[in-house]
Amino acid sequence: MKWLLMVFYYKLLMRPFLGIFVGVKLVNSENLRQSAPVIIVSNHNSHLDTMSLMAALPVNQLLRTHPVAAADYFGGSWLKRFISRWVLNAILIKRTREAGDLSPTDQLIQFIDKGHSLILFPEGSRGEPEEIQAFQKGIGAILHRRPQVPYIPVFMSGMGRILPKGETLLVPFDAYVVVGKPRNVQHEGVLEIVHEVKQAVLAQRDQYQHINKL
Amino acid sequence: MNYLLSNRFTENKEVLSIILVILGILIFATVLFFVLGRIYPGDKVRELQQRTKSWWIMATVFILATVLHPAISFVAFALLSFAALRELASISKNVRPEDRRVIIWCYLAIPVQYFLAYMGYFNLFMIFIPVIMFIWIPFVLVVRGFTVEIGKSMSVLPVQLMFTVFSISHLAYLLSLPELSGFNAGGRGLLLFVVFLTEMNDVFQFTWGKLLGKNKIIEKISPNKTWEGFIGGFITTIVVAYFIRFLTPFTAIESLFAGAIIAFGGFIGDVIVSAIKRDIGLKDTGNLIPGHGGILDRIDSLAIAAPSFFYFVYNLYYA
Repeated sequence: MKWLLMVFYYKLLMRPFLGIFVGVKLVNSENLRQSAPVIIVSNHNSHLDTMSLMAALPVNQLLRTHPVAAADYFGGSWLKRFISRWVLNAILIKRTREAGDLSPTDQLIQFIDKGHSLILFPEGSRGEPEEIQAFQKGIGAILHRRPQVPYIPVFMSGMGRILPKGETLLVPFDAYVVVGKPRNVQHEGVLEIVHEVKQAVLAQRDQYQHINKL
Repeated sequence: MNYLLSNRFTENKEVLSIILVILGILIFATVLFFVLGRIYPGDKVRELQQRTKSWWIMATVFILATVLHPAISFVAFALLSFAALRELASISKNVRPEDRRVIIWCYLAIPVQYFLAYMGYFNLFMIFIPVIMFIWIPFVLVVRGFTVEIGKSMSVLPVQLMFTVFSISHLAYLLSLPELSGFNAGGRGLLLFVVFLTEMNDVFQFTWGKLLGKNKIIEKISPNKTWEGFIGGFITTIVVAYFIRFLTPFTAIESLFAGAIIAFGGFIGDVIVSAIKRDIGLKDTGNLIPGHGGILDRIDSLAIAAPSFFYFVYNLYYA
């Protein structure tokens, strides 16, 4: 049921809407054809980021892939809760922890151990359009404890202009989603892994020189 | 199925024959470059193969536009304008981030312009973008209230509309022109005439430039353009225009002029887009990400050739 809903929403509505109307272009999206568990890591500028990645996923991975979102934002109203449960298939993480809660890292690793995939935006928040902020440590902590799980670096450009943080009006512009090859971490320490992943994301940008200039 | 096709299509021998010629040329080019690629593998041949591929796409789009019901063609042309405007607005560095809401007005002008073309409201069609939108966009910019560098946006946005929407909509308007007695090919014939000649002119200029090119014509903008290529393409295009004038109501002399206008207009459009790209630091929007974008590269010549040709034929036969 949920699967049908998601296939309908992402493949029949979002994919053509993003591709033809908005102008989101997928580059090397065949790299997403990787069976779970895998961690998709991307920079973050807009709500469209999650939409574009989910719409690009293979149909059989939709139910087993979870974007990771903040509980205080997406748990907010009943509408946001409905969207994050039925449309986004999201895992909600609490930013402030109470006694007895699992740590976010443990929570996410549970899903990975069940054979599910994650979509992570290590910048934490959407931030200013077209700028990349520092990566948070969470991605390093997870890959440090599960180094056998491959990650896929993704760089997105232009999304911040189409639908920036705090705007409600969507304006079509050309945007690019550049998907890198799945790979395993080379380093052991948490901070080294964070650095390595960030470099991998930036490498997707540098592959296409002109994306730099947009 | 039949109502999807334009009526009298199969009776239109002129249009049918030129479509066959186009398909013939494309098949010939595909086979030629495939064989060349086998004998001399390399980047140059691969570039030619890439170009042939995009010609196939262009040809399919325009042939379908002439064969299908006019309403479908108008939607297709409007989408082409939309994608081109989106690409131009995306790569332009002269538009401020504050202008994103104003760009919505530019997009909204597209359905209006194509509706006017479809209904054949010629006077409104002619002034809607160069006069009405030319006033409306600066006004909306002023209402938005960001005055820093507002002059830049006031001039850039209407020019982008002119280049991607006003110009291409003239191709669509050809399909709205009334029937002339004794002229069988009609608007479809005119559409094929101008698109075919514009594309062939690009090819001729490229080929002559490669064969004989020595003297740069406009080196700072397009280092590959030479006088030899330009003149060779110009003459060849005029000759071809003479031979396919059965698509038009032109006399022999008029067809030569039409060919000259298209060759010259195509060249102007080409170098304008080259200059815009050079300003941003791109050489070729199409080649940077394989298989994506590059719509401007495809329609740059048409953007000037189409309206120039349109007013030439309009003033001679339809005014």
